[in-house]
Amino acid sequence: MRIGIVCPYSLNTPGGVQNHVRDLAESLIGLGHTVSVLAPADEDDPLPGYVVPAGRAVPVRYNGSVARLAFGPISATRVRRWLSAGRFDVLHVHEPISPSLSMLAVLYSRAPVVATFHTAMTRSRAIVAAQGLLQLVLEKITARIAVSDLARRVQVEHLDGGAWEIPNGVAVARFAEATPLPGWPGEAGTVGFLGRFTEPRKGFPILLDAYRRVVAHRPGLRLLVAGPGELAELGETGGIPDGVTFLGKVSEQDKARMLQSLDVYVAPNTHGESFGMILTEAMAAGAPVVASDLDAFRRVLDGGRAGELFPVGDAAALAGALDRLLDDPGRRSELAARARQVVAAMDWPVVAERVLEVYATAIEATSGVVADLEDPPRAGSVD
Amino acid sequence: MWWIVGVVAVVVLIATYITWTAARVDRLHARATAAQLALDAHLVRRAAAATELAELLERPELQALARAARDAVPEERELAENDLTRALRALPRPRNSPDLTDVVVASRRVALGRQVHNDLVRDALALRRRRLVRLLGLTRKHPQPRYFDVDDPILDEIMVG
Repeated sequence: MRIGIVCPYSLNTPGGVQNHVRDLAESLIGLGHTVSVLAPADEDDPLPGYVVPAGRAVPVRYNGSVARLAFGPISATRVRRWLSAGRFDVLHVHEPISPSLSMLAVLYSRAPVVATFHTAMTRSRAIVAAQGLLQLVLEKITARIAVSDLARRVQVEHLDGGAWEIPNGVAVARFAEATPLPGWPGEAGTVGFLGRFTEPRKGFPILLDAYRRVVAHRPGLRLLVAGPGELAELGETGGIPDGVTFLGKVSEQDKARMLQSLDVYVAPNTHGESFGMILTEAMAAGAPVVASDLDAFRRVLDGGRAGELFPVGDAAALAGALDRLLDDPGRRSELAARARQVVAAMDWPVVAERVLEVYATAIEATSGVVADLEDPPRAGSVD
Repeated sequence: MWWIVGVVAVVVLIATYITWTAARVDRLHARATAAQLALDAHLVRRAAAATELAELLERPELQALARAARDAVPEERELAENDLTRALRALPRPRNSPDLTDVVVASRRVALGRQVHNDLVRDALALRRRRLVRLLGLTRKHPQPRYFDVDDPILDEIMVG
């Protein structure tokens, strides 16, 4: 299949949409499809071979962060040139309802259009003002994908349409093949945490409390923490124990290496994470997981078979679970093995197959023809 | 003299807008029809997969429901498809067998086809309600598209547990 993908944000800036586009494109190429990604970039930016630069992106404040967008006559020309040179069977745009390359591509496309909605973006004033234009854009989209239930509900409530939910994939290989940070996890063991540790709902103080209990009889046990935030904001009165190392905010690469450096990963959250992406990443890195018994975590951890669960907020129970796991390498590798099976189903190539089903549906809904059954019903099976 | 130019310009603009709207009506109806054909094909494919599974598991009642879904007249099709979905959901455990793969994949494609079809029908119906479209009878040659209203046929969860 010839697939054109449009990313509205520059691939040289970090972000969820950019990571998604890159992982999806590489998975589709791995499955044997022809993929071209159009994204804002300068000609001389270092880019993967499948990316076509669409010109410099202009920084625009949007949704609380700065997005680099490209939208204007020069971008429009490049979009049209890219579309006609690509002769795509399907065009897949991301975040098409903000003025961007994605929106331009939708308007100019002759191929069936699939759109993925990432953020739970509601009908802003700008959208209402451009209602007529928005309707034209939405009308040209044949199939819509939402990456979360929240994004899907926004579709239903604000944009008069449904969406097919396909969660983000996990780049399993990237996490599984990373090398541990030098000197970690070490002889006496390492427990780890990744995330905004100053946010109460992440439950970091519960882990700190449990760590103090365990380290009392396990001298040398270390706690490795990564994530944005200032230690001072924690308001810890007892001070931070010596065995705790803070890495601060880490890059995607270092995140994988950090997760490889652990004997146990802990997710002590006190409130519902919608999906538990970080858990799946720890599982892909092969770190045994101990997590609060929240619905989302229990689902990802296969009811406790792919990771230990402890009662939400219970530092004593967490300390007990850590003690048991640190004493039992057999149990740790058992959990890691089951976790590997669970994340295999969320691996990007698997997710890309689901996206391909949406492409096929969009093409069929345009032509009215359902072609090439991969596995046709055997002769004689239907009467 | 200038008022003639003005009138001509306005007439041209209105005519352009009407032509464009008529093309838009045609396009949205053509797409809703195409999506319906595709959905039909996937429903047939699911019924075929269910028939095959029924033979394999020797469940004549499932076979009868699959046949009923395939042969149903349009007015009864939604009910027949719901009956088939319910029967598939009620299949006994253990369920994670490769025999189920075809019917699970076919059901997912039905669900996806229906989602897309209903979205396209919604777009077409919204345009049909526009005053200009109704006033000029731009939809005369297009029958009104209908939603395909069935229970969610997704069976992915029967593969686990």
